[in-house]
Amino acid sequence: MDKIIKNYKGFLIEQGFDAIETDYEQRGYHLEVVLAVNQVREFAKKAYELGFYLVFVTGFQVRSDEKNDSLHSGLAVVYQFARYDRQYRMKALVLVPNSLEIPSISDIYHGADWHERETRDLYGIIFSGHPNLKPLLLSEEDWDFHPLLKDETRLKSLHEVSWTSGSPENDTPETGAETDG
Amino acid sequence: MLESEYQEQNRFFLNMGPQHPSTHGVLLIVLEMNGEYVLDPQPVLGFIHRMHEKMGESRPCPGFMPNTGRMDYVCALPYNHGYVSLIERKAGIEVPKRAEYIRIITSELNRIASHLLWLGAYLLDLGAFTPILYGFDDREHILDILESVTGSRLTYSYYRFGGVCQDIDERFVERTRAFIKRLRKRYVIYEKLVTKNIIFIKRTEDIGIVSPDMALRYGMTGPNLRGSGISYDVRKNEPYSLYPEFDFDIPVGRQGDCLDRYMVRIREIEQSLRIIEQALDRLPDGPVRSKVPKNIKLAPGDCNFAVEAARGELSYYLIGDGTSTPYRLKVRVPSYSNLSCLPELGRGILLADLVSILGSFDLVIPEIDR
Repeated sequence: MDKIIKNYKGFLIEQGFDAIETDYEQRGYHLEVVLAVNQVREFAKKAYELGFYLVFVTGFQVRSDEKNDSLHSGLAVVYQFARYDRQYRMKALVLVPNSLEIPSISDIYHGADWHERETRDLYGIIFSGHPNLKPLLLSEEDWDFHPLLKDETRLKSLHEVSWTSGSPENDTPETGAETDG
Repeated sequence: MLESEYQEQNRFFLNMGPQHPSTHGVLLIVLEMNGEYVLDPQPVLGFIHRMHEKMGESRPCPGFMPNTGRMDYVCALPYNHGYVSLIERKAGIEVPKRAEYIRIITSELNRIASHLLWLGAYLLDLGAFTPILYGFDDREHILDILESVTGSRLTYSYYRFGGVCQDIDERFVERTRAFIKRLRKRYVIYEKLVTKNIIFIKRTEDIGIVSPDMALRYGMTGPNLRGSGISYDVRKNEPYSLYPEFDFDIPVGRQGDCLDRYMVRIREIEQSLRIIEQALDRLPDGPVRSKVPKNIKLAPGDCNFAVEAARGELSYYLIGDGTSTPYRLKVRVPSYSNLSCLPELGRGILLADLVSILGSFDLVIPEIDR
C-alpha cells in the first residue's frame, strides 16, 4: 500500500477519478478531485482504505444553467479529506443533479451522518441512502426552509467563483489602522 | 411474569438537557434507558444555532471577525487566528514576525485557559467541587493578562488582517513570565488533588474507549484523538504561523479512555507553557501590523485554512468571487465531529459513565451549533 500512498494523484487517476494537483500555499489543500454522482461512494471507499479521515461535507450554490445538465440544479457538494500521519489534504467536488439526490457516504464514514444532515438543512440536497435525514441544526418544523440558498440576484456562475476566473486588482495598500470597521 | 416482559417494563426515555449542568450548555441528549443502562443516546443539536455561515456571506470579510470569537467562546483566539490567516492566504497579505509571535503567545495562553476551565468543569461533573476553584483561580490570571492587551475577557476579537490590533508591552511580558512560574508550581497541587485520586481514576479509567479506527471514521481531532494514541496536531502536521520555529511535543495517550484524554490535556498545558516561554525569550522587535488594502478583494476560487483550536482541528473554507464579501464561508468545528461518535460510544454503558465521557470530550455547545 505504501507505494500507492507516495502518489495519490497517479493512483486516483488510475482508478478513473479526475484528480488535479493544486498549489497548497495558495489554496490550503493539495489535491482537487471532480466526481460524477455515481463515483461518490466509490471515492469515499478508496479514501477510507487509504486512511483519510473526513474533515467536512458542505455545499454551495451557483447560478443554474438549463443548457448544462450537471449545472441545472445550481448546487454542488464539497467533501474534504485529510490525513492523521502527514500533511495531505484533498477536496472532492460533485455537482448535484436536478433530482437533488447524492448518494450518502454515512455508512463508510460514520462522521458524515451529521455533516450530510446539516447540508440537507442548509441547501435541501438529499443524501439518498442516509438512515435518518431529519433536520439537525434547524428545528423539525423548518424541514423545507434552506437558509443558505441565495437570491437570484446574488448568484454567480460556477466559472465566476473558480480559480480559472483570474484574480482582481487589490487597491493600493493603506495603513492598517484604517481597515478597522 | 416473563423475563422479556420485565425487561420491557424497565425501558424508558430520559431527556438529559438542554438545561442539564453536565451537558455544558444547551445540548439535549435523548437517552433510551434500561434501568441504569443507556441503550441509545441521541444528541439533539441546534438550540443556539445562529447561522454564522450566513452572516459570513452577507457582509465584507472584516465584519465577520467578532463572530469568530463567539463560536468557541472558551478558546476564541485560535478562532481569530484561523480566520485572519485564511483571509491573509486568500489575499496574499504578509504578516510581520512580531505579530505572529504575539498571536502565538496569546493563542497558547487562551488554550491553557480553556484547558483549566475544562479541568474544573470536568471534575465538577464527576462530583469533585474543589478543583474548579483552583482552576478558575489560575484562569483568572490569564484573563487579566489577555484583557490588558485585547480589551476583553472572553469573546476576543484581537487579531487583524496583517497583524494584531495592539502591541504587547513590558508589563505583559513580565506578567506572563510570572504566570508561567506560578502555574508550574500549581501542577503539584493538581497532581495530588486529582490525578492520583482513586475515586477519579475509578470514574475514568477504561471508560469510553475510543479506538483509532473509530476516531478515523468520525473524523475526531484534538486531545480526544490524541488520547487514542494518534499523534495528530495541526500545529505539527500542517504547520501554520511560526509554530515550526518552536520546540514542543505532542502528548498522546495509550488506549483512548477518559483518563487518557484527561492526561493529554494536562500535559498539553506544559507544552503550551514551553511555547510561550520560547516566544517571550525570542520576541522580535518591529511593527505589529503590515499595510493591507483598505478594501480587501477576495479572488475567485476556494481556499482552506486549518488551525489547532483547544478542541481539535478548526478549518475555515472560503469561496471567493472577486468582491470583498465571501461567496461561501464554511466553518468546520472540532466538537461537532467529536460529539458525533456518542451514539456508538454510549451504547450499553451506565448513565454515570456517559456523564464522564461527555465531560472528557470537552464540548462547547455554541461551537457545535454555530
